[in-house]
Amino acid sequence: MRTWLLPEYVEDILPNEALGIERLRTRLLELFRVHGYELVIPPLLEYTDSLLTGTGSDLDLRTFKLVDQLSGRMMGVRADMTPQVARIDAHLLNRKGVVRLCYCGTVLHTRPRSFTATREPMQLGAEIYGHAGIEADIEIQRLLRTALAACGLGDARLDVSHVGVFEALAKHAGVDEKLEAELLEAVRAKDRPRLRALVERLEPRSREAFLLLPELYGGREVLERARNALPAYPELRAALDDLEAVLNANGGPMGIDLADLRGYHYHSGIVFAAYHGGLANAIALGGRYDEVGKAFGRARPATGFSLDLREWVRLAPEAPPAKAILAPYSDDAKLRERIDALRAAGEVVIVELPGHEQTRAELGCDRQLVLKNGNWEIVSL
Amino acid sequence: MSGITIALSKGRIFDETAPLLAAAGIAPLENPETSRKLIIGTNRPDVRLIIVRASDTPTYVQYGAADLGIAGKDVLLEHGGEGLYQPIDLQIAKCRMMVAVPEGFDYESAVRKGARLRVATKYLRIAREHFAAKGVHVDLIKLYGSMELAPLVGLADVIVDLVSTGNTLRANNLRAVEEIMPISARLIVNQAALKLKHALLQPVIEAFESAVSSHA
Repeated sequence: MRTWLLPEYVEDILPNEALGIERLRTRLLELFRVHGYELVIPPLLEYTDSLLTGTGSDLDLRTFKLVDQLSGRMMGVRADMTPQVARIDAHLLNRKGVVRLCYCGTVLHTRPRSFTATREPMQLGAEIYGHAGIEADIEIQRLLRTALAACGLGDARLDVSHVGVFEALAKHAGVDEKLEAELLEAVRAKDRPRLRALVERLEPRSREAFLLLPELYGGREVLERARNALPAYPELRAALDDLEAVLNANGGPMGIDLADLRGYHYHSGIVFAAYHGGLANAIALGGRYDEVGKAFGRARPATGFSLDLREWVRLAPEAPPAKAILAPYSDDAKLRERIDALRAAGEVVIVELPGHEQTRAELGCDRQLVLKNGNWEIVSL
Repeated sequence: MSGITIALSKGRIFDETAPLLAAAGIAPLENPETSRKLIIGTNRPDVRLIIVRASDTPTYVQYGAADLGIAGKDVLLEHGGEGLYQPIDLQIAKCRMMVAVPEGFDYESAVRKGARLRVATKYLRIAREHFAAKGVHVDLIKLYGSMELAPLVGLADVIVDLVSTGNTLRANNLRAVEEIMPISARLIVNQAALKLKHALLQPVIEAFESAVSSHA
């Protein structure tokens, strides 16, 4: 076996892409900072007891695990940073009011999410805790919009949904847990043939409503159709009103899909996903998860979103970096002064170490410093 | 690509999909049975067909290489259906997923609870779940074709396979003993495409749906 081969779905990031990722990371975290989101850096691994609390079995399967030699307890390498940040809000900060946090770090997945995904995404996200009202949902979606625009992805489409619609239908239909799980799966896959078989024994009003759900996607008109055709349960009405408020508050391309119930057991209100022309999967996912903090002893309203920086950098490539300036190796104090000044002005100046003239082209310089009449001048290479 | 790409396989699926495509106003410019081309144009410049192996159809649609696809329920169950919408049962390419055994094999006592059975099949997931639900231990042998042979030469006790007329089974002295599920082809849709190309895809989906329900 070749010793330099990396595991499947794990890769090195080479200079140009690495620079792009770093620039994107800086730009997004700076954007979050000026919006009042404080950066936190949770650990790479922690006990699975806390890492997987309040999340689904899906995340459990996706988490690499190992035994801690100090305590003998099971630890997991984070596969998602959101629960860690929720733990920080619930336990460590212990503030009473609204808390805004952001984070960026590598996460590890036991299996890639798809053939085209990496097992080591770079997750970057922002979360608001402590406000249950629609204003927090609006703020977090606006922040995502601003982030997309800052990366040249302003034409991305934001699809919103509300788990309260399905929840209300399931509750009023009085379905048991098993049937609810099956209905959920069929609605999510827009699998109407299966849905038809599942709702056969429900009362007509619920049957019609479940069958309609997979078709309730599209633009703003979906809300009207939903109001007219779905039962007027108060929770359901409130969910539709929330969606309308979010739609009114946000600019840019928006869509609604009431059958988009990703993370149904984890989310508790408005959920959203950003789609961009070039990709078959969502490029950012977010939503409300008011119940997760409860597992850490303090139920806090929460909403946020996260994205994979490595995916974004491929969609929004950075302009190639400016070429560098080559300087000879020399003890000349004037040369060193000149180099310092150029570097302070943001230029890349590379000193050529003695004996490497043959490979000069690899350095990517387009200019060089040359001594002319006692002055170090820049001439093109 | 900005238009619509539809993935489907040659043979029965293509033949039985043709009337549905016609109902949506789409006519292929070539017949894949005679043409060697894998991308086939249609009378509509914004619609093209790609010809793939049946079991690859969900993969092409899942990753957005095609927006729509026609795939058998058997193929979808093996694939898992992750990342796909499957809104319409097209009621075409119908057959049944069955367990078949050699003549004279006592299936009833072979599958009493806790028994162990060697099963040859192309459909590992379907077979695994079927026997797990019955409480029968199975050793699965993955084959890519001519499953009927396996019990005859002692490679397996039973097979799990698609049966449409039953002629191949009879010709090889096998008999179907249990139906696992009825199978027919589904329309599958890429999730992002349904959102990003809604205006283009919706009329095609609706045409398929009304063509199917007028036949039913």
